[in-house]
Amino acid sequence: MDKVYLYDGSFVGLLNLIMELIKMNERPYNIKDELYSSSLFETLINFDIPWDDNILKNMRLSFGKYALDVIYYVFLSEENNKELIIYYFVLNALKFHKNIVYRRDLKCVSEALRISQYVIHEGHKMKGFLRFKELENKVLYAEIEPTNDVILLVSDHFKKRLCNEYWIIRDVKRGLLSIYNKKKYIVVLEENFTFSTLNLSEEEKEMESLWKVFYKTIGIDARRNDRCRRNFMPKKYWKYILEVEDEL
Amino acid sequence: MPMELQEKLKILADSAKYDASCSSSGSKRVNNNGVGNTAVSGICHSFSSDGRCISLLKILLTNSCIYDCKYCLNRKSNNVRRAMFTPEEICRITINFYRRNYIEGLFLSSGIIKSPDYTMELLIETILLLRNKYHFNGYIHAKAIPGASELLLKKLGSIVDRLSANVELPTENGLKLLAPNKEGKKVDKIMNYVKDNHSRKFVPAGQSTQMIIGATKESDLDIMSKSSNMYDKYNLKRVFYSAYIPVNKDNLLPNLVTPPLVRENRLYQADWLLRFYNFKVDDLLNESNPNFNVLVDPKTDWALRHLDEFPKEINSCSYYELLKIPGVGVKSAKRIISSRRQFTIELSDLKRMGVVLKRAKYFILCNGKYFTNSAFFKKNFIEANIIIEDHEKISINKEQLRLF
Repeated sequence: MDKVYLYDGSFVGLLNLIMELIKMNERPYNIKDELYSSSLFETLINFDIPWDDNILKNMRLSFGKYALDVIYYVFLSEENNKELIIYYFVLNALKFHKNIVYRRDLKCVSEALRISQYVIHEGHKMKGFLRFKELENKVLYAEIEPTNDVILLVSDHFKKRLCNEYWIIRDVKRGLLSIYNKKKYIVVLEENFTFSTLNLSEEEKEMESLWKVFYKTIGIDARRNDRCRRNFMPKKYWKYILEVEDEL
Repeated sequence: MPMELQEKLKILADSAKYDASCSSSGSKRVNNNGVGNTAVSGICHSFSSDGRCISLLKILLTNSCIYDCKYCLNRKSNNVRRAMFTPEEICRITINFYRRNYIEGLFLSSGIIKSPDYTMELLIETILLLRNKYHFNGYIHAKAIPGASELLLKKLGSIVDRLSANVELPTENGLKLLAPNKEGKKVDKIMNYVKDNHSRKFVPAGQSTQMIIGATKESDLDIMSKSSNMYDKYNLKRVFYSAYIPVNKDNLLPNLVTPPLVRENRLYQADWLLRFYNFKVDDLLNESNPNFNVLVDPKTDWALRHLDEFPKEINSCSYYELLKIPGVGVKSAKRIISSRRQFTIELSDLKRMGVVLKRAKYFILCNGKYFTNSAFFKKNFIEANIIIEDHEKISINKEQLRLF
């Protein structure tokens, strides 16, 4: 039977499990979070692991900040075998330490770097493509549906940029809400939160139509280039981008 | 009856759209308990139907103008609808767009009304209102008006992130022909002043400029020489190239059917080579060869003319040599340097480093090996292959190529 090891779904939990497996000299067939349902020929293993609270700090010291960031971004991705990639990345990082990030000849490293780039990239794109609507109670509300779990990256950005606003960002696919109260934001499951209102403010309609007018006007017809536009702004995001949602 | 805000926005965005500058990068303004900040890397918020990035609310304060530049939609002699924003209107739209995350900031330009000084004062008044009353800390790019006083330039530069003044045409002759009210030396004066006073508090994101391509007879060599000269002299962040689009009929203007987009693209590619790849203008163009090859990009074109310097060994050649290889960019060159300290790079590793192997393979050795029989390392063979590989792209652009 192929052994699939389970962890609690958290980043620190995953790293603790990986370190334990490495100590046991165990090569897992795969590593998955607790919600995983096994397929034929797989056996799920969930065991109590020793917990090291300082694991992030220790890894940062040993692998360097850059390498730890890479692992974290891979963790935020939707990549199917991300836990296994992180496992092999850590295994090799114990050998190469800070040089691990240059070892693109290793598949786990080149894959991890590719995936982390993708996550950072999508987080950056979301900072641009996200659209707030103003609700009647002046709260700004946005819905996003990113491929990777970038709600924390996006929230950090708006915490600085719109520090004097109340805002809520909803990750539709994951059912998460990031709620900011002019001091800090928290991320909660949407079933644990009730909106007092989702009605739009009086000014909202006017601003939306002004923006649409601007968007239509600013394109130069003689240079029309739909392929180029789609490359930079993939259609999968259009549903939540005010000025192009009508073109879908 | 006063004009509706929507109508104004339409007119004043329409007349601003031919300015190519869209960047919102290079400034580190922090949110001082007001509205917004800037992102050093810049953020694109949308892409218009022509595929260009939208990061700023790009508008004119007014499209009325006392000048009569032949190529410009807003010239005095054109019979177009004129409009003018009030400073309050601009602030209201900017703040509301910004809060909803439509934009990264404001790009404010203007036609010249009454005098350069008067116009500049209006720009300053608007931006001061936005910064002080509305506490806006986002990105602002403003146009400096040539001919305005130095005092006003100083004032404007201290409240914006980027300033720009457009040289419009690469030579003074072109300017005389098409923009008789403009003088190149007034633009030089602005660029000089901004360069001398540039600091974290004065135009922190630096200055840029723009040239119109294909409205006059200048060659690519004229254009690139002008760019290179300005980069050296004024520390410009960017020169933007804007393919001429006929908006007016005039005997002095060329009769183009479509804008020269391929040429514009080649100029941008060459501009990158100047700024990041250590190329000089005379590496790329000269008097007997004053225009870029439309069939291949400038770097490949250069490599094909200097085949004696190739193939280069990836594992040993210098960083600057790596940069000269078609298909290798700044990022992948840096990755190669840091990786090869750790291990010997094989052909199969290169793709993972972001090298465009399709292009690079003809020009490199990897651990002593050429990608195919080294008997094929010949100019004709490589050139033919590259042109065939690019063919699909070329056939799409065929309409535009006919112009040259």
